[in-house]
Formats: sequence, C-alpha cells, structure tokens
Amino acid sequence: MNSLLKLNQVEAYINQYHILHNISFDVREGEVNVLLGRNGAGKTTTLRTIMGLNSVSKGTITYEGENIANEKPHIIANKGIGLVPEDQGIFADLTVGENMSVAMKQENAESTKRLEWVLELFPDLKKFWRKPGGQLSGGQKQMLAIARAYVNENELLLIDEPSKGLAPVVVEKVTESIQQMKDQTTILLVEQNFLMASQIGDRFFIIDNGETVHHGEMEALKTDKAMMKTYLGIS
Amino acid sequence: MDLLFVLLINGLATGMLIFLLAAGLTLIFGLMDVLNFAHGGLFIWGAYSGVWMYHVTNSFTVGIAAAIVTGLVIGLVTEKVIIRPVYGNHIQQILITLGFMLVLQELIKVVFGPSQKAVAPPAFLEGSFMVGDIVLIKYRLFIILIGLVVFFVFAYIFKQTRIGLIVRAGVMNKEMVQSLGINIKLVFMVVFMVGAALAALSGILHAPYSGVIYAEMGLEFSILAFIVVIIGGMGSFKGSLVAALLVGCMQAFMAYYVPSLSLATNMLLMVIVLVFRPQGLFPVKG
Amino acid sequence: MLRHMNKGTVIYLLMFLLLTLLPLVVTGRSMQFILIQIFVFGIFAMSYDLLLGYTGIISFGHVMFFGIGAYSTAIMFDRFEPTVGYLVLAVIVGVVLAGIVSFIAGILTLRLKSHYYAMLTLALAGLFLVAAEKWTSFTGGNDGFTFGLPDILRDSNMIYLLCLISLALLFFGLRRLTASPFGKVLMAIRENEQRVESLGYHVLHYKVVASVVSGVVAAYAGVLYIISLRFVDTSVFATDFTIDVLLMTIIGGVGTLIGPLIGAGLVEFAHHWLSGLADVHWIFERWIILYGTVYILVVIFFPLGIVGTIRAKLTRHPLRKRNDLKGVGS
Repeated sequence: MNSLLKLNQVEAYINQYHILHNISFDVREGEVNVLLGRNGAGKTTTLRTIMGLNSVSKGTITYEGENIANEKPHIIANKGIGLVPEDQGIFADLTVGENMSVAMKQENAESTKRLEWVLELFPDLKKFWRKPGGQLSGGQKQMLAIARAYVNENELLLIDEPSKGLAPVVVEKVTESIQQMKDQTTILLVEQNFLMASQIGDRFFIIDNGETVHHGEMEALKTDKAMMKTYLGIS
Repeated sequence: MDLLFVLLINGLATGMLIFLLAAGLTLIFGLMDVLNFAHGGLFIWGAYSGVWMYHVTNSFTVGIAAAIVTGLVIGLVTEKVIIRPVYGNHIQQILITLGFMLVLQELIKVVFGPSQKAVAPPAFLEGSFMVGDIVLIKYRLFIILIGLVVFFVFAYIFKQTRIGLIVRAGVMNKEMVQSLGINIKLVFMVVFMVGAALAALSGILHAPYSGVIYAEMGLEFSILAFIVVIIGGMGSFKGSLVAALLVGCMQAFMAYYVPSLSLATNMLLMVIVLVFRPQGLFPVKG
Repeated sequence: MLRHMNKGTVIYLLMFLLLTLLPLVVTGRSMQFILIQIFVFGIFAMSYDLLLGYTGIISFGHVMFFGIGAYSTAIMFDRFEPTVGYLVLAVIVGVVLAGIVSFIAGILTLRLKSHYYAMLTLALAGLFLVAAEKWTSFTGGNDGFTFGLPDILRDSNMIYLLCLISLALLFFGLRRLTASPFGKVLMAIRENEQRVESLGYHVLHYKVVASVVSGVVAAYAGVLYIISLRFVDTSVFATDFTIDVLLMTIIGGVGTLIGPLIGAGLVEFAHHWLSGLADVHWIFERWIILYGTVYILVVIFFPLGIVGTIRAKLTRHPLRKRNDLKGVGS
C-alpha cells in the first residue's frame, strides 16, 4: 500500500523545550492510523507539527512525495490535510452553518454532496444549523469539528482525541462516524481511549517521550499485554 | 428641548466620526492582536489628502475618494513595513506604532505645510433644515448617515459574506482559521487596509465638521478612539459603535454645559468600565 | 571602603566626581545648561527604564508625573516664597501627587494586557494637559509664568550641582533597587509573567510598586527641570517629552539604567545641534521625523540599544539575546 504521509526523524521545540526528539512513522492511504502514548508524550505536538502550526527543527515530513516540513499551515491545509484539534477549535460566536462556510473553500456539486453526506452522518448539526457553535454540547462540538475538516476534499484527517470529555454513548456515535469516513479518507488519530482506538484503528504508533518507540498492527497490540502496560499504562 | 435635540445630533455626529476611527482600531486589535498607535496618523492623512483633492477638484466626493485611497495605501505600507516585523511582540508593536505616528504627523507638515487649514462643507451640504423650531445642520446629518451606512454595510459583510465570517473566526481562533486553509496573513493585510481606510474616511469627514485641520488633531482624536475601544470591548465592532455614540454624546453635552470637563467625563467613563468590566461592554469570546 | 565596592561602582563614582569638577573647565552658560538638561532627563529616563526596561510596562503618559513635579514647584514658589523650605514642601507635594496618580493608574490597568496601561496613561496625560490649559488662575494657561528661586539656587553652578548629585544618588539608589530581590522579581515578570504568578508572587503588587517608584522619580525630575528653567508652561505636559524619554531609554538600552543616561546625553545634544541646523535647511525644523525614523529603526534592528548591545557582545550570554524588548510580550 502507498504511504500518504511519512515522518522521518522529526524533531520539534515549543519555545525552548525540546518536545519531539525522534518521530518517524508512515501513514498508509485508506487506513486509520492511531498515535498512542501517555499524556505529554508528544502526540498533540506531532499533529500540530504535521499541520505546520509548530515548526520542525530537524527531519522531514513527506506528504504525497513532497516535503511539507515548515510549510505554512494554510498551504498544508490546501494540499488536502484537515485538522480536528484537541479543543475542537469551534468558532464560538459563529453558528454551525457559519462555521461550515468558513471551512468550505468552494461551493460546487462535489462540496454540496460532501456537506449533505456529513449532515446525514451528524443530523444534530442540521438541527442546530443556526445555533452558535459555543452553545453546542461537547459531542456536538466534536461532530462539528469533524464535519468541518471533512467537508473539503481532504485526503488526510488529523483527529486529536475525539473521545475526550464525552459520555460513552456519544463516544460510540463518534467512533461509528469515523468508521464511516474511513472509506473516503485516510485518518491519523490521537486517542487515549484504547477501546475506541482498537475498534477503528488499523495500525498504531506508540510515542514515548517524544520518540516513536513502537508500531504495528492494531490486532497484534490488543493481545500484547506487556506493551500496553509499559507504554500506555493499561493492564 | 430643542437644545437637547441639537446637542444630541452633535453628539451622534461626533460619535460617528469616533466610531469610524475606533472600528478599524478594534478590528485590527481583535484580529491581529495589534494595538495600532499610528491609527491617528491615518486619520490626519485622510483629512489632509482628502481636503487637498477637495480644494483642487472642487468636489467633496472626489475628496472622500482620495482620502479612502490614501488610507488604503498607507495602511498597506504600515502593515508590511511597520507591523509585520513585530507580530507577536506587544511591547515592540506599541513602541513602533507610536514612532510611526510621529513620522506621519510630521510628514503632514512637510508635505502640506505646518499651518492650520480652514475647510468648509461643500455647497450641497451647507446650511440646515428646519423641522418645527429645530435647526438641523445638514452636514451633521450627513456624517450620521455615512456612519450608519458604514455600520450596516460592515454588519452585512460580517454576517453574510465568507470573508466577513473568516475575519470573525480569526478574532476567535487564528490557528483554526489557518488550519482550514486560509492565508491569515492576507486577511490581516486586508483588514488593516480597510481599518486604515475607515480612519482616513473619518479624517476627511471631520475636516468640514470642525472647520479647521491641523497635524496634532490625529493624536488628540485618537485618544477618544482608544477610550471607545476600551469601553466597547477590544475587538468588538458593535461595541465600538455603541461606545462611540455614548462618548460622542457625552462629549457634546459636556462641551455645552461644563466644557472644561468634557474629556474628563469620558475618561471617568473609561475608568468605571475598567474597574467594573475590564473586558468592555461587548466582550469578544476568545 | 573602596575595597568593598565592585569595579563598576568605582568607575561610576569617579565619573560623577569628574562631572562635579566640570564647571571649573566648562564656563559657557549654554553648555552648562545642556549638561543640566542631560542630568534632568537622565533622571527622567531612568525612571522610565524602571518601567519599560525592568518590568516590561509601557507608559505613554509618563510626562504627567514630570509635569506634576514641575507645576507643584512652580506654583509653590509663585504663590508662597521661593525658599528652600518651600522647595522641600514642593518636592513632597509633587512626589505624593505623582505617587497617588501612578498608583491609581497601576491598580486600574496593570492586571490587564500591556495595551491598557499605555492607553490609560496616554489619555490621563492628555487630561493633565487640558487641565493645565484650562485652569489658568492656577497655571497661567498656555502663557505660563516665571518665578523666583531660593537664594542658594541663584547661582547656576548650584543648580548644576543639585542636579548632578540628585542624578548620582538616584542612579545608585535605583541600581541597588534593581539588583535587590525586588528588582529580580520585576525582571522575572518582564520575562514571563505567568511563571512568576504561578510561583506564588503577587505580580500586580510588584508592578504597581514599580509604577509608583517610577512616577515619583519622574516627578522629582520635573522639579529639577523647572528650577533650571525658572519658567513653567503647559509644555511640561506635552507628549513630546514622553517621546523624548522613550527614545533616550531605547537608544541607550532598556533595562540597563546607565543606557538611558547615555541616551539622554545623545538626544539632548542632538536637539541642540539639530535646532541649530534649522537655519541651514528647513528639513531640520522637522527633526521629529528624523527622530521617529531613528526610533523605528532602533526598535526593529537594535532592540537592545547601545549599552545592551555592547553588553551582549561582551558577555555572549545565550539568554541575553532574547532579553529585554524581545523577550517581552506575546
């Protein structure tokens, strides 16, 4: 299978702090790839660095054969990468509809089709179309953030902890929707909720102290109790 | 009663001029996190260049157009040369924009001469209407009208157009806007230019209103705009209109009854807001 | 006793001693006047440095404290008698007033973003200027008024000495203050306010104290200024002075104390020469343009100023580079 995105020995700083020491992995087209690791291991920073929100001090990030390290975020976004940040990044004073229009680069048959598809997936968004984003529930915000990243023809979605702070029922709903998107786009997911990660993930990468220390098939990880305990604190 | 009405009209007219100045200031602050102390410089450049064209062509409309073009051009230069090197550093921004304010102010004297210039309203805006016993000065109504038009046009843009939505989204979360594929630097530049053009428009409209223009009025008038930005809430467009009208009316009434205290009352208003509601009357969610 | 001082202190002391002897050599009145102005503005600029350089606070109305000191002295001499007693009283009144005003401005805005203090002080200074213009019975309005001086200050050499000694005392005093634990906290606030707050310091208290000390010192500079002029008008509240003092601080080097003194010297001499050049070409009448341009260039390319840049070169301390102006804000 083709690798869509490839990180090679990426290092990054936040201010003077060395956060990413050596991140290397590749994301294959059409799969759900999950970044695992403890809090503060550097998962969110990895996503932000791919998106160009954080600069790369060493290493390369190759997307569709092109090095995108240290490109500007909007240029990276326009190459087909969408981000669903940890805090969802909803524009609080803008309505659901307005949040979607900011995201939609153009309105044509294709984008209308995608919009309709995503609204079918998240009927709540249709229902609260005119409600300010800030007044949505946590789950609805998450749906809006995912929909916003999906609505453009992105080949790769970076989704940061979609289950964070959500009730179990809602997590199920979000899990289901990500599974449905899988057919149309590649996904790189950061997830602490192992149950969710194991349900939708095809492959995993474990980050520890800013380094990718392990990777493999999700199926194999589910049975590897020792590794889960060492890196994820799950027993 | 008549007097109150006349004062109210004065206050609204002054308020609209302050609004035009403060609107750009507050937008630039909200979106770019830059407090532009050179904003008053754009105001005087609008006034001088507009008046110059008005006197040359004898057309006030051409004067207004010239002022707006001047504002756009100086705005572009300011953003590219002065602001861009210091994004993200408040102290350098504050220092550098103040320095640029001085340069703009002194350049006025070099280009147009150091003396005051008298300006009269154009013929079609001279004189007044009589409604019952009340005298309505045409030019003041004209200013109020322009202010309202500007407000509603911008309100429409912010509500109904994608660029307007992007600007509002940018005020709330710049990183997310970039992550959605929008070049925020370009948005910054456009907003800065538009803000500058509004300041220049305020300047040219102010010229026949006060009857005289001079280089120092930029700094004087922009103090009122700063007060308005604080009262209205930094970054709030609606807030700047409400606060500007409030400050304008306060100014007009105090100027009539207790002239020596007019600036003081506005300062007092600002202090009250700072104490009880430092985020302003219409805070912007971050 | 000398053995207990560090090398820097000895050099500074020697320099001040040399300056006390200068009137024996320099007899021209205008040159002596320029030196007095340098001392006065040196004090004013040091007070500004305490705010901008050490604490990272920008004031655009610092001139109001200067003006408060100036007017309280002038009015005291004019209304009562020009004696040393009233001079002391004037200093007390000026200093207390300036302290109150800076305390209020600080309490109101220093807990907010740096923009607020800059705006509030700009507006407050505007208010003082208007008050001085309107309250003519007290201030003489735009025309101003002249007044007599205490006998002891009739000799301009005495004014020279008074200003120089004041400068020396305040320089060593402020140097002590900034080197004290209190000063260290101020600098930490400048570098990272949240960090200091999270360490359990009450940041607002420190900032307000810095603002009050700075205001008080500026008021004292205003007292000396007005004594050297023997005349007061509303120009003591003009924004130009704030700009001058900003320029002195930035050119000389923020957060160094000695830098602003050097800046004061440069700017005062520049004033003198440039106004002399006005006869040569009209552009020199508009020297503020030059000023503003130099100032913009310094902020962009030379943010450490003269002393800061030299020190950075000498020490090559890695942290120095992102120090001062660059390290603040965000």
